[in-house]
Amino acid sequence: MNAGVRLAGVGLLTGWGDGAGALPAEARVAAAGRAVLPLARPSVAGERFRRATRECLLGVQAVSAALADAGLDREAIRGDGTALIYVTAGAYGASNAGFIGAGVASPARAEGGSAGPLHFPYTAPSALPGEVAIEFGLTGAYVILIGGAPATIDALWQAGLLLAQGRCERALVLAVETFEECEALWRRARWTLPLPLVETAACALLVAGAAPAAYRAVAGAGPLERAVETRAGRTLAAAPLVALALARAAGERAARVTGSWRGRTASIELTLSGHTAQV
Amino acid sequence: MVTPIGVDLDAFWSGLLGGGHALTAIERFRTDDLRVGRGGEIKKVPAVASGIRSRAAALLVAAAADLKSRAPLGAAPERIAVVAGTALGGVEELEHALEDDPAPRRALDALYDAPAHTLADWLGARGPVLTVSAACASGATALGVGADLLREGAADLVVAGGYDVLCRFVLRGFDVLRSLARERVRPFDRRRSGLLLGEAAGLVLLARERDAHGPRLGRLLGHGSASDASHVAAPHPDGRGLEAAIHAALAAAGVAAGDIDFVSAHGTGTPLNDRIETSVLRRVLGRRAEAVAVNSIKGALGHTMGAAAALEAIMCLLAAREGLIPPTAGYEEPDPACDLDYVPGACRSATPRLMLSTSLGFGGCNAALVLEAA
Repeated sequence: MNAGVRLAGVGLLTGWGDGAGALPAEARVAAAGRAVLPLARPSVAGERFRRATRECLLGVQAVSAALADAGLDREAIRGDGTALIYVTAGAYGASNAGFIGAGVASPARAEGGSAGPLHFPYTAPSALPGEVAIEFGLTGAYVILIGGAPATIDALWQAGLLLAQGRCERALVLAVETFEECEALWRRARWTLPLPLVETAACALLVAGAAPAAYRAVAGAGPLERAVETRAGRTLAAAPLVALALARAAGERAARVTGSWRGRTASIELTLSGHTAQV
Repeated sequence: MVTPIGVDLDAFWSGLLGGGHALTAIERFRTDDLRVGRGGEIKKVPAVASGIRSRAAALLVAAAADLKSRAPLGAAPERIAVVAGTALGGVEELEHALEDDPAPRRALDALYDAPAHTLADWLGARGPVLTVSAACASGATALGVGADLLREGAADLVVAGGYDVLCRFVLRGFDVLRSLARERVRPFDRRRSGLLLGEAAGLVLLARERDAHGPRLGRLLGHGSASDASHVAAPHPDGRGLEAAIHAALAAAGVAAGDIDFVSAHGTGTPLNDRIETSVLRRVLGRRAEAVAVNSIKGALGHTMGAAAALEAIMCLLAAREGLIPPTAGYEEPDPACDLDYVPGACRSATPRLMLSTSLGFGGCNAALVLEAA
């Protein structure tokens, strides 16, 4: 990659509250035995959001938070100059489980319940970035990746690549994880995914910068990844963006972020902009 | 590859050339409560490995076995990446996890990235493992992301493509949307009334030019994507996003629209898709539009969702290699709104050099690939 990439803003909403400052010192202690720390359904105005799922609204809210952190209004990202890269490990679970659970007996019943004609398209992971694209008028390049934290490292790399190749002027890397509706299923997997699971919607706004993003596979989790797990709990694909929020809040000029999932650890180093927020 | 019309590359190709279809009554799950119970079902998936419970993973591994028999993976394991596109991932496992199987592994298999990791394990690949889920544009985006990994030196070989299974979840979804055809699938035909779904997996081995040893099928010159930003479940009425994706792919490839001599269309057979896609191709190809062959293989296979674009890219390259373009199965009566050359009837002798493949999906996803003959 020839050109560089820089983090211009990051929006963070977690089951602990808004921003990095809301994270407790010790997530496991603060959870007090709760398996899932949920995020409330955002109250986003507008008739067109009537059918939108909770996770779609969280995606919209996370992008708004990133814009606020970068000091930009929504018009600044409208059009084909903004790429959107969405990542999740399982935020589609709620809509999928809802569709499976509703209207099984007959198509007629399905149409009357939550499995109506417009419910099915919302079971696709692409529905969330689709709603975000509609809300902010994003008509540029997009990528949708599924997986845990390494997928978000891959997404940050993709964002840097799109910027370096001139395929966009700015890139949003958006990660959303929700667990509440499928808590029983996630509990079954607790041996591989220790609790608490913390719902998170996070968005990083990246722009061209001086230093290239260094992307590589590494042997193990780095300090920021361990700090995220200690302070935030399990946030899956959102973890690297939580790490960026922590580093930015601490006033770091650069961050090396790692992410681990299913035996793979990926790493990326990014330049952060000068602006800092209070932890 | 593994498809309803043939469970390896050779059978797929001869099936397409024959002009028939593999859309039959679905046998693997109940459909008696649905309006339409037909689709492109693979009646017998080649048994390649034991211990794979998920059908999605089994399809991927079967396709990979076919690929490996033709193109050995000559690179260190940590330099081999896997990029799999899917619309549905392991959703059938979620159905089992919710209904009849409380095993923890079922819950993890239900995650959409599980089949790609099963494939990587089976291949012994220890490089990046990515799952792309851009609905029915997933396969094209996966090939594009795979090419990016090579270009940036993140891997030396990439096994890339797409897959999806035909399961009750997705059949019920499209049934409720009333998108399924009760009769034959007829892309671009005046009587077209909808799509039928199919299941498949299609994989290619991507390598940098300098690392490609032995015979090669062709080149991926460029890829592009763009969002409609208009509707979650319907394409933009003017095909704005598709047009932008095509232009992005052409720019990345460094070729002009006038250089394209064959188009593999998304061509689902729905009234809306085929009309919009035709108008986009007319605008992009300009005065040459009527001289460019355009086909859709969904009349033969059904819409294989995450696999579709990967299969269509492979079809393009086979067409160039073999000098034959497969017909659009089911296309018989012209529609004034779809007035291009859709390769009716039988396969056609032609040797396309530069090819365009288009894809659209839920969420306003659009993707395009530009391919070159070997």
